[in-house]
Amino acid sequence: MIRIDCPFCGPRDHGEFTYAGDATKVRPAHGSTDMEAWLDYVYFRDNPKGVHKELWHHAHGCRQWLVVERDTTTHDVLSVAFAKPSKSGGG
Amino acid sequence: MSEPIKPMVDIVVSCGAMHFYLSQSDKGTLVFGGDLDGYNTYAQRGNLPLIDHVMAAGVSLMPSLSRLRFHRHWGGVMDMTMDGSPIICKSPIPGLFINGGWCYGGFKATPASGWCFAHTIAQDRPHDLNTRFTIERFSSGHLIEEKGAGPFPWAQ
Ligand SMILES: [Zn+2]
Repeated sequence: MIRIDCPFCGPRDHGEFTYAGDATKVRPAHGSTDMEAWLDYVYFRDNPKGVHKELWHHAHGCRQWLVVERDTTTHDVLSVAFAKPSKSGGG
Repeated sequence: MSEPIKPMVDIVVSCGAMHFYLSQSDKGTLVFGGDLDGYNTYAQRGNLPLIDHVMAAGVSLMPSLSRLRFHRHWGGVMDMTMDGSPIICKSPIPGLFINGGWCYGGFKATPASGWCFAHTIAQDRPHDLNTRFTIERFSSGHLIEEKGAGPFPWAQ
């Protein structure tokens, strides 16, 4: 069991969340014709043993997208933040 | 794996829609299989939500399972690819061949894929049956999308 401390809802077990993979991939610019960049963005993923920065969707909670740093060897959650900072500048 | 019970099923029950399968061992225990964790892990342990998920699938398929007790569970490494299909091909390095990324399919497909792989190695070119299972299909766009789930291995 992984417990994720959602910045909006508080600590919840991971059954409430949907995993969505690597959070470090940056989408190529709209209209980019750099096929290598698209290939990397769509298909290539590292699978680190240790800290992994990943997206989780709080599907059965506030429905926010979160960026979670998790240790893949211990399942320790090191940090949780909203994937998109709020426009008001808060959390 | 459940507590041992009297003979109940003498076949392997497999439900693709729920990613669930069941068989009964000679000792009488029911053996179940289900989905993967979804998230990357080297922790070498499972988790309760997934056990819950597998058993929910089992009970919806066979309600008679609901009162059984469970003994133990285990997991293994799943070599997932981005389109849900394996890679069986020559590599860019001469003499190095790739056979992997079997997702959920390895055990059942081993005889046929081994035969194709042997052909690929012996002839230094793929057999007709595995021509498309290249690693280059991801850059060329000729994917073999088993489930149409997109490049999301946890959704396959
Ligand atoms: Zn939340």
